[in-house]
Amino acid sequence: MGRPKIITFICIIGYLSVVFTFPQVFSPQIKKLGVFIPAIYGILVAANFIACVGLWYFKQWGVQLYVISVFAKLLFYILANQQGFGFYFNLVSSFIFIIILLRFYPKMNQNL
Amino acid sequence: MLWVLFKESLFFAWQSLVANKLRSFLSLLGITIGIFAIILVFTIVDGLESNIRGSIQSLGNNVVYIQKWPWDFGPDYPWWKYINRPVPKYYELDELQKRCKSTEAIAYRMGKRRTIKYKSNSIQNAVVAGISHDFYKIKNFDLTSGRYFTQNETDAGYHLALIGASIAEGLFPNEDPVGKEIKISGHKAVVIGVIKKEGESLLGISFDYQVITPFNFARYFLDPKSENADPIIYAKAKPNISNAEMMGELTGIMRAIRKLKPMGEPNFALNETSLISKGFDGLFDIIGTAGWIIGGFSILVGGFGIANIMFVSVRERTNLIGIQKSLGAKNFFILVQFLGESVMLSTIGGFFGLLLTYILTALGKDIIDMDIGLTSTNIILGFTISILIGIISGFIPAYSASQLDPVEAIRSN
Repeated sequence: MGRPKIITFICIIGYLSVVFTFPQVFSPQIKKLGVFIPAIYGILVAANFIACVGLWYFKQWGVQLYVISVFAKLLFYILANQQGFGFYFNLVSSFIFIIILLRFYPKMNQNL
Repeated sequence: MLWVLFKESLFFAWQSLVANKLRSFLSLLGITIGIFAIILVFTIVDGLESNIRGSIQSLGNNVVYIQKWPWDFGPDYPWWKYINRPVPKYYELDELQKRCKSTEAIAYRMGKRRTIKYKSNSIQNAVVAGISHDFYKIKNFDLTSGRYFTQNETDAGYHLALIGASIAEGLFPNEDPVGKEIKISGHKAVVIGVIKKEGESLLGISFDYQVITPFNFARYFLDPKSENADPIIYAKAKPNISNAEMMGELTGIMRAIRKLKPMGEPNFALNETSLISKGFDGLFDIIGTAGWIIGGFSILVGGFGIANIMFVSVRERTNLIGIQKSLGAKNFFILVQFLGESVMLSTIGGFFGLLLTYILTALGKDIIDMDIGLTSTNIILGFTISILIGIISGFIPAYSASQLDPVEAIRSN
């Protein structure tokens, strides 16, 4: 089965969000939060990107990694006390995307 | 098993990097420059910040400055409100010392630039300060030789002086300054002590170029009523008493001393060092953000460079990938092999970027005489960015390589 358009849309949004969030990894604001915070945040951004690549190839592991990275990122924002507009926007949009992805999950490729 | 697979993948990746030295060098150059730009800016900002914060710290967190002008770094400073205010007077110090209960010490200081002479040696524009006795309780300074004034010497205005380390080096290059007679604006004073060298301060508050004299002696060459002498009354809070609490009491006493109406505007300012910190916070944020944007673009360019070189690498080795897969190599093995290569490239690039930063800051430290150095935070950040850029820019080429069909891959040229 080919990749549905809605998943392509989610992937493009994901790639764009990586482009915008990657510079945040070494931003002065994140750096101020702690020595290892940029590294942790960076891992989350990379996981988000890899998940989008997985979704692009219509793989089940893409959905699994996407869900994990979304929850880990939300947890990070809560622990780092960074709950602005971006946090709630991320929360709502991610849950909508997860619901859509779960609908297509059984049709996706199980291999790496 | 996984570790063996990983090790083998990295070995393949390393071989590929060594086989194409010039290409590897050019592609890691982008990351080197990016990491160098970001970490250098962060290192300089951190160095400046720690120097300025150290200087502010030396002013005392629990010290309040009673002055004519408030410290305000905003763009709309209403100077016309303050211009006609009186400067703090020495008698106000006496009154404050008698009435104030929340202070550990209160001291007075005025100062101005004057020429200091000893025989044929002279130093121009040295800061000469006239102080009250308790000044040493407010400002922390150590003496390398000699002693501080006694209460009697400061009260009576003995012609004595404590000199800073740079003044001592300038006036007495080959002799001990203690006991020698110097001239301050033509007035003789005996040096009774030398203040320990403090080094350069970005706020210009080092004691190295200062001469400290008792207030009643300083009146001969400084006018305490003049704003040019910049008179200040310092008040240090007792332990367990907050600045706000002390400022409340100081405000009440100062208003009473100056006989101000209950609802009238105060004609003095109570300044805290936290006001300076706040003023610098904005500046550091701007410098940090500028460095972040400049370095971010360099990193982005470096990342595209790595992605490009990885696509070329996959294209070149398609045949080899086909053979590896037909011999039983798993997709994961191919993925890790190419991802390892990209991460290795960017990490080596990052390492050289950090090395360049280290060399430049080590050279710059001697030139600008300031404590700037690579911190562990910046080293960790540098490697984090390098590894991340390697993963992000190398993942798509690596994954596409891992998905190749072995038969078609072998057939390709």
